[in-house]
Formats: sequence, structure tokens, C-alpha cells
Amino acid sequence: MEETERTKEEEEEEERERRTVGEVWSWGAGTDGQLGTARLQDEHLPQLLLSLDFAPKTISQLACGGAHVIALTGNYGKVLTWGRGTSGQLGHGDLNNCLHPKPVKLFETLPISHVSAGWNHSGFVSDNGRVFTCGDGSFGQLGHGDYQSHYSPVEVSFLGSKNVNQIACGMRHSLVLLKGQSGAPIYGFGSGKHGQLGVSNDRIRRSFNLPEAIMGFEDVEILAIIANGDHSAALTADGHLYTWGRGFSGSSDAYHPQLLSSPLNFTQVALGWNHALLLTDKREVFMLGGKHHGLLSDPQKMTVELHSPIQGTPYQSSDDDKRVTILAKVPDLNGIKVVQVAAGSEHSALVTVAENGDIMTWGWGEHGQLGLGDTCDQMSPRIVCLGDVLPAEQTQLSVYCGSGFTFAIKSERIL
Amino acid sequence: MSYDDVEIEDMEWNEELQAFTYPCPCGDLFQITKEELKIGEEIARCPSCSLYITVIYNMEDFMGDSDRNSKKNLEPSKQQPVAVA
Repeated sequence: MEETERTKEEEEEEERERRTVGEVWSWGAGTDGQLGTARLQDEHLPQLLLSLDFAPKTISQLACGGAHVIALTGNYGKVLTWGRGTSGQLGHGDLNNCLHPKPVKLFETLPISHVSAGWNHSGFVSDNGRVFTCGDGSFGQLGHGDYQSHYSPVEVSFLGSKNVNQIACGMRHSLVLLKGQSGAPIYGFGSGKHGQLGVSNDRIRRSFNLPEAIMGFEDVEILAIIANGDHSAALTADGHLYTWGRGFSGSSDAYHPQLLSSPLNFTQVALGWNHALLLTDKREVFMLGGKHHGLLSDPQKMTVELHSPIQGTPYQSSDDDKRVTILAKVPDLNGIKVVQVAAGSEHSALVTVAENGDIMTWGWGEHGQLGLGDTCDQMSPRIVCLGDVLPAEQTQLSVYCGSGFTFAIKSERIL
Repeated sequence: MSYDDVEIEDMEWNEELQAFTYPCPCGDLFQITKEELKIGEEIARCPSCSLYITVIYNMEDFMGDSDRNSKKNLEPSKQQPVAVA
């Protein structure tokens, strides 16, 4: 791996970053270098990343994919990537894994404002609303009109004249959200096999390699788009959630965006491969699906789950055990308020409100992705101990999940 | 318990692994070889964890000396990653 050339300015910037307070922690599956620990192994407990490459104060967004990570730094919108690079998803111009954060050259002169990491592909939105993708393009998920992969970011020229705000990358598909546009605000491309593009009833056409407008949002103000696995979702400014793609808990796939019927007001949404976490304005967390959640390796537990569904309503039960729980409150939080949710493929994480600002995790734990020191599954949220290097009162926590791993950032609280 | 049921056409042929693969939630890949498919094996395992998936396919498509045949009919045609700078 070649050494990054550093200018004097960059060195000074790093020195400033070193003096600011903050910590980056990672745990879980690590055999592709995605944990940034410079070791190719799983970690069952949170690892403090001491490398100067991690400058928590300046990381404004972290996106974790199948086995790679994209960090957007606040300073000048620079982008760092590391982890699995075998499909070109790191954008480094090669197909190598990378054990340490390395800048994406193209974006050193082109400020980026939003990033997303899919299974093996990556998406970047520039300050001026342009979209770039790289990585695996086998299903058209890069949106370039073909099925080729790219190991450096390439602009999605089809969207050239449109002003893009966000990108969301799933397993084999991508969504983009346009800025204050009249007409369709959301476009999708890549695999549509399970309806995740929301654009086709025609099951014969399984993939789209150019962005397709998703209908049904013409008069709706969209706050955020989310993609993971074969799921897609959009959160509206007035707190409603639309989902499409693969059905949750074995229910049938949705080929068009479906409005979730609920009196709750949602403020944040995270998607896994079989579940969704919904945060409400009352700072409570609900889960959609999650049939496999924390139950992957033990069929015995699954039986128990079928007969004693998690607490909360609305809840739908049926003789058909494929449709167990529709929407349920996450158990055992005992009124603890939540400020952030994150979802890996089969695990979940949340941040509770400070004073007692804690990170809690639950779900599948085989690779240590829960950070609890073992490989056990957890049916309800457990507190992760990050160590008390920084006093909790002065910091704020953020948590991010990749497929089988988790990152946490503890940064100086902005008062 | 099988994590998922996946049709063979949704799996990708991986030249390096000489196996059909599908993403595993741990970050690695579920894998099954043509030889396994020929003898009727329907479980694709992940080398990194305890999970496995059930592969849905027609065994006849893989029977006999059908390397050429299977290449033509079963490999998703557009799923060979070709890297372009």
C-alpha cells in the first residue's frame, strides 16, 4: 500500500485534529480490514482506534457497507475509505483491501456532502449536487447505463442536470433523492428483483442500469432515503414512512412504495436485511420485521419467539407463522429515551439520551458485532462499555452499523 | 435453520472461488460449487460463520458432463465483474 503524500497544510490540519477531543471505536467482523484496527480479525469488544487517520472531531458522516467504510470529513468535504476493496468500492483506483483510512483522490478537489456504502458499492454526492458511484456494478447499481464495475468514482451523468441531495446504497441497488425539485424526487437503479426500485410491476425486467423515477412522491416532502439489503424506505418531513422492496417477516415483496399505517411520528429510520428500526418524535424505538433478529443460529429460540412476541402494539398474529410481528416496540428500554438508531444486516444499535448517554446493541452477535465481549445473540438492547477515556458529560455519541460490524464516535459535545 | 432461500439465478459465479456465491449478512459470501450442485446439494455455506442458505435450482441443469451447458444457461450473463477505471 502506497504512502499518502502529505502537504504541510495537511500536517497542520492533522495536528489540530489531534488536539481536539474525540474517539473512534469499532467492533465486530473484521477480516477485510473494515474495523480500521490494522488487524484482519473479528473484535468482540470495542477497539479504540488510535491512528491519527481517525479524526473524530472532523468526521461528519460515517457510512458502513458490506465490509467497507466511507468517512466524510467536515473539513472541505474530503472522503476517506477503508476495508474491502475487491470490487473497487473504496474508489482508490485499484481492487485492493485497505487497512487504514485513505483519501479518495477525486474528492480532494471536489467537496462531498453525503456518502453511502452498499454491499460492495459506494455512492457520493457533491456539494453542488452531482452523484458519483464506484464498486460492483453487476446489477446496474452504479447507474452508468451498463453492468461494469468501477474502481474510481464515476459521475452518474444521467442525473447531470438534476440537483441531488442524498444517495442510499443497498445490497444490489441504489436510491437518490433530489433537492427541492418539482416532479419525482426519488430515483432508483440496480437490482429490482424484490421491488426495491419501486418502478416496475414487470417481473421480467429485474434490473435497471440507469436511474428510474419512483412514482408516488410528487407532492411529498422527503427528509431521508434509506436502503439496505433488498429494502428501500423514504421518511417524509411530516413523520411518515414509506417502504418498498423485500417484504418484512416473510410478507410479500412491495413493488411500489407503501405508506406504513401508524399514528406514530417517525424522525429517523434504519434498515437491516430483514428488519427496520423506527425512531419516533417521543424518542421511542419500534421495529418492523426482525423475524431473524438475534435468532439466527438457534431454531429453539425461534419457536419461543413465535409464541411470545415482543411487547407492544400494533401487533399482528396469524396462523401463518410467516407473518409474526408487524410493528413492535423494542423491549426492555424501560422508558429510556433514544436519540439515534442504526442497523446492520442482522443487528441493531442505538444511542440513548445523555446524561446516561449510552450505546446499546442487540440482535445477531456471532462476530462480536454487539461489542459485548462475546458472540451471543441478544433479544433486547444491552449497554456497550466504551471505557471512560473521555468524561461522558462532555461528549456526544454516534453509532453506525455495517453488515456485521459497528462503529461508534465519541466527540466533543457542541454546547 | 436456513437463513434464506435463494434462486441459483440470483447467485453470482465467482471465478476465484470456483463457486456460486450470495452475500452473507456477516460480510462474507455463501458458497456452493458446481460439483456440489451436481450431486444434489442444496445448502450453500458461509466459511466465516454458522449461517447457510438453501439454493433453489434444477439438479438436471448440473447433471452429467455439463460444464459447457451450465455455463451457457445458468451463469447470470451480466454478473462477471469487469473493472473499468
